[in-house]
Amino acid sequence: MIARLALRALPDPWLLVGVAGLLVAGSAMIRAATMGAHGGLSAETMRHLVYAFVGILAMFAVSHLHLGLLRRFAPLIYIASLVGLVAVLGIGSDQFGARRWIVVAPGVTVQPSEFAKIGAALAFAAYAADREPGLRTTLTSLVLSLVPAALILVEPDLGTTLVVLVAWGGFMVAWGVPWRVLGGIGALAVSVLPIAFAVAVPDYQRERLQVFLNPEHDPLGSGFTMRQVEIALGGGGLTGRGLDGASSALDGVATRASDFAFAQLGEQMGLVGALLVLLLYAVIAWRGLEASLHSPDRFGRLLAAGLTATIVLQALMHIAVNTHLFPATGIPLPYISTGGSALVGMCISAGLIQAVASQRPSSGRDARGERW
Amino acid sequence: MTDVGLTRIRLMQGVLLLVFLVFTFRVASMQWLNPRVPPEYGEGLAPRLVEIEPPRGLIVDRYGQVLARNTPEFRVMLIPGELPGDPDDRRSALVTLERLTGIPYADLEAAASSSLAIVDPYAPVLVLDGLSSDQAIQMRATVAGKGGIRIDASPTRAYTAEETLAHILGYVGSIPEDEAAALMGQGYPLDGAIGLNGVESMYEPTLRGDPGRLLVLSDPQGRAVEELAGTDPVPGADVVLSIDLRLQQLTSAALAKGMEAGMAVLRTNTGQERSDPIPGGAALVMDVRTGELLASVSLPSYDPNLFVDGTPEAIADVLTDPARPLIDRTYMEVRSPGSIFKPLVALAALEEGVATEDTYIVSNGAITIRDEYDPNVVYVFRDWTSHGGMDLRRALARSSDVYFYLLVGGYHQPGQDEFEGMGADVLARWARAAGFGRATGIDLPGEASGLVPTTKWKEEEFGVEWLLGDSYPYSIGQGYLTVTPMQMAVLAAAIANGGTLLQPRVVHGYAADGVVTPLATQTTGRLPGSAEHYRIVREGMRDAASGPDGTAETGKPEGVTIGGKTGTTEFGVAYPDGEYDTHGWYMGFAPYDDPEVAVIVYLEYGVGQTYAGPVAKEILEGYFALKESGEEQRVEARP
Repeated sequence: MIARLALRALPDPWLLVGVAGLLVAGSAMIRAATMGAHGGLSAETMRHLVYAFVGILAMFAVSHLHLGLLRRFAPLIYIASLVGLVAVLGIGSDQFGARRWIVVAPGVTVQPSEFAKIGAALAFAAYAADREPGLRTTLTSLVLSLVPAALILVEPDLGTTLVVLVAWGGFMVAWGVPWRVLGGIGALAVSVLPIAFAVAVPDYQRERLQVFLNPEHDPLGSGFTMRQVEIALGGGGLTGRGLDGASSALDGVATRASDFAFAQLGEQMGLVGALLVLLLYAVIAWRGLEASLHSPDRFGRLLAAGLTATIVLQALMHIAVNTHLFPATGIPLPYISTGGSALVGMCISAGLIQAVASQRPSSGRDARGERW
Repeated sequence: MTDVGLTRIRLMQGVLLLVFLVFTFRVASMQWLNPRVPPEYGEGLAPRLVEIEPPRGLIVDRYGQVLARNTPEFRVMLIPGELPGDPDDRRSALVTLERLTGIPYADLEAAASSSLAIVDPYAPVLVLDGLSSDQAIQMRATVAGKGGIRIDASPTRAYTAEETLAHILGYVGSIPEDEAAALMGQGYPLDGAIGLNGVESMYEPTLRGDPGRLLVLSDPQGRAVEELAGTDPVPGADVVLSIDLRLQQLTSAALAKGMEAGMAVLRTNTGQERSDPIPGGAALVMDVRTGELLASVSLPSYDPNLFVDGTPEAIADVLTDPARPLIDRTYMEVRSPGSIFKPLVALAALEEGVATEDTYIVSNGAITIRDEYDPNVVYVFRDWTSHGGMDLRRALARSSDVYFYLLVGGYHQPGQDEFEGMGADVLARWARAAGFGRATGIDLPGEASGLVPTTKWKEEEFGVEWLLGDSYPYSIGQGYLTVTPMQMAVLAAAIANGGTLLQPRVVHGYAADGVVTPLATQTTGRLPGSAEHYRIVREGMRDAASGPDGTAETGKPEGVTIGGKTGTTEFGVAYPDGEYDTHGWYMGFAPYDDPEVAVIVYLEYGVGQTYAGPVAKEILEGYFALKESGEEQRVEARP
């Protein structure tokens, strides 16, 4: 009954199924990973469930927003997200040598970079909606993404920085930027990469790249983690070791439920669970881009494509790290990893894609007329 | 709507589909087709990172005398995570352990349900320590094969049995439960030890060194089966105190004697019900060139080993002792300085142009102030004696109160000579400039900062106006002003060295491999003043400590010229005749011509001249005697 109501309230039920399935899988993974010796729901699990609930409410609320309104307020939202990023550098709390969180109440922290992703996507879409993708406009949009990316990089949070930049790339493809312009920017990026690497990348990140290239480099630090990630996936096998909180190859890894959530989930739920998660992301990718295709205006089309690219590319980058296809970088898995701001932010993104989908002129019984 | 956009999105769908296929194969390969799982995985063996604590650095005195060393000790640890989860099984397991080890069930249960167990159930919790090596071997044999319990050796600290070092050394103890999570993040094991007070806590990173890390293959019980890789720990460096143990002992003895003698100020048979007097005192010897403390004594003190091997009863006794031995009176408690504040007032008066070295004031033993509104009311502000006329140097030497009343509060009475004072707020500015009202920055925890009152402060605090009757006591270091002996030592050193405010330290430097690396001298600012004005103040203090009728002559050691100043402040409840008990202070620097050390003596009960002075004299004589005998002795690490 509730499920049917939920499906009726949102224009794209498949997209909802994708998000909801991942939320369930993530909660189960975190519950098992943080269970401890005596069972029961851990504080992390409770927190995750609360944020998931908040996220779902936000998703429903946002899906009813009018796109014209969003477009008008896009610059404001973008600037507000930049203010958040500057604020965190000033008043943020230090954890593990990084300043990524603002404490808003005891035990409640906000990570502005998670909301900056949405701000950047809205800004791209609003900027590109009535402009043609030429060299000049492309470079302007690049600046729109470089400002938050640079602010996030100094926190430092290399993973989120990469997500913002890669999402911009996906957005450029959707906008229709000529291939030669994209190729030029790509070539330029590759040529400045070594310099950027030398200047802007913190030591620990350089060390992790070393480990990626040569896993025996540091068997005690990141090498240990990467080795355990591999064992976790392999140990999970076809059907996994179960969700009863049994010992895990990732027991000694502090970020097992965030940066290595996919490997943790693969160990618990096996290949079956891991492939189901991949399938759910594929569903989100497909339905997100379908919403984009059927949007009647370019703002909606680019917004849906940009947000879908952000969600799906972040997921793929996380899985690439977990499967040794990419050097170890702290990138949370959307809808699954611990982290309240990321969860709520990703749910808002899904809600915005739903808002685009609701504009669809011909979509059967979910047509606009029923709701507006 | 351009067609290229639609094509691009179709293209993205296609590309993403391909990427998902690639990932599917990759995951399938890692989990199913070609899993790389070491053979021990199925047996419950898992790699585990183990931190190896390096040996802790020693604490030695200025000349290498070891004050804190490591001794091996055996202890019983409980691992709550290895106990059965079912309450009944768990109880019977604990009962078995009680039978085998003789440790009361209640202790075992308390350890098993300790809040540390929630942070990490596999972290061992201390149940019993202080086992001898024989006991440890025997108990190890008894509990062999039982899960949930472990006997291990831990290095523990033993401190030299010099009571007066307890405050400075601090102690090492188990990780406090409320900081466990934060300390784990810094790589502390939950069953580890950490410096909890004094130098042990302030120099923790230096003393601790860098722990090594060992990657071991361990079974589900946490026992290491195989070592995979590791890095060696880096031992902590030794910390060399600036304290000279011999001078410390000598200072302590002199202070104890002075405290006892000073109790004579107490009057008996007054017929009054008075609370029991609690003797206490502090004494400091500071190098006026570096801020290093050569001796720092607070009495009463306690055994430095109290928190290491004291019985719970002994610890409770110290914690509840009304004499509060845990308080280091040299820097944690504030008092009125009394007349030892006068040299600063004199310097301020010279600098502000309120007075010159020749300013001449007559004290007839008191000044009187007529009430502004009711001329029939007359207030009397007493001097301690009738000094007659005097200039500024002599006012310091005689410690005239009237002279300093006028320097700060001025004097404006009909028919009398007028005098313009600097005012309370100007004096407050000078007091702050001299470092009062804020911490000196000594390298020990829990420093008090004292209070520098201003007219605005009084209005805000009490809602009443600042009066002349507040300014007069202020000028002689009484009233609302409070200071620590440490702040007075910084002032004494500044007067001796011409204005440099030194940051006091109990640590001279670090020693590793027999090489001592001294810490750099830190200053917290400059007390402004011309060399000429500093000279006048020092001469006043010299006259006080040597002149024919100087008040501070009792603090002068044989054969050395010094600068000195006494102070006596009233406190507590008045006797029926209006008199009070008094604190006794002495402030000095020596030798006069080329000052090396500043000395501060504080007696909870006493009089500056009669009781505090002789303590300072004994300390300074000890200092010069030691210097004579050990001129060639250099600061060195332990042999």
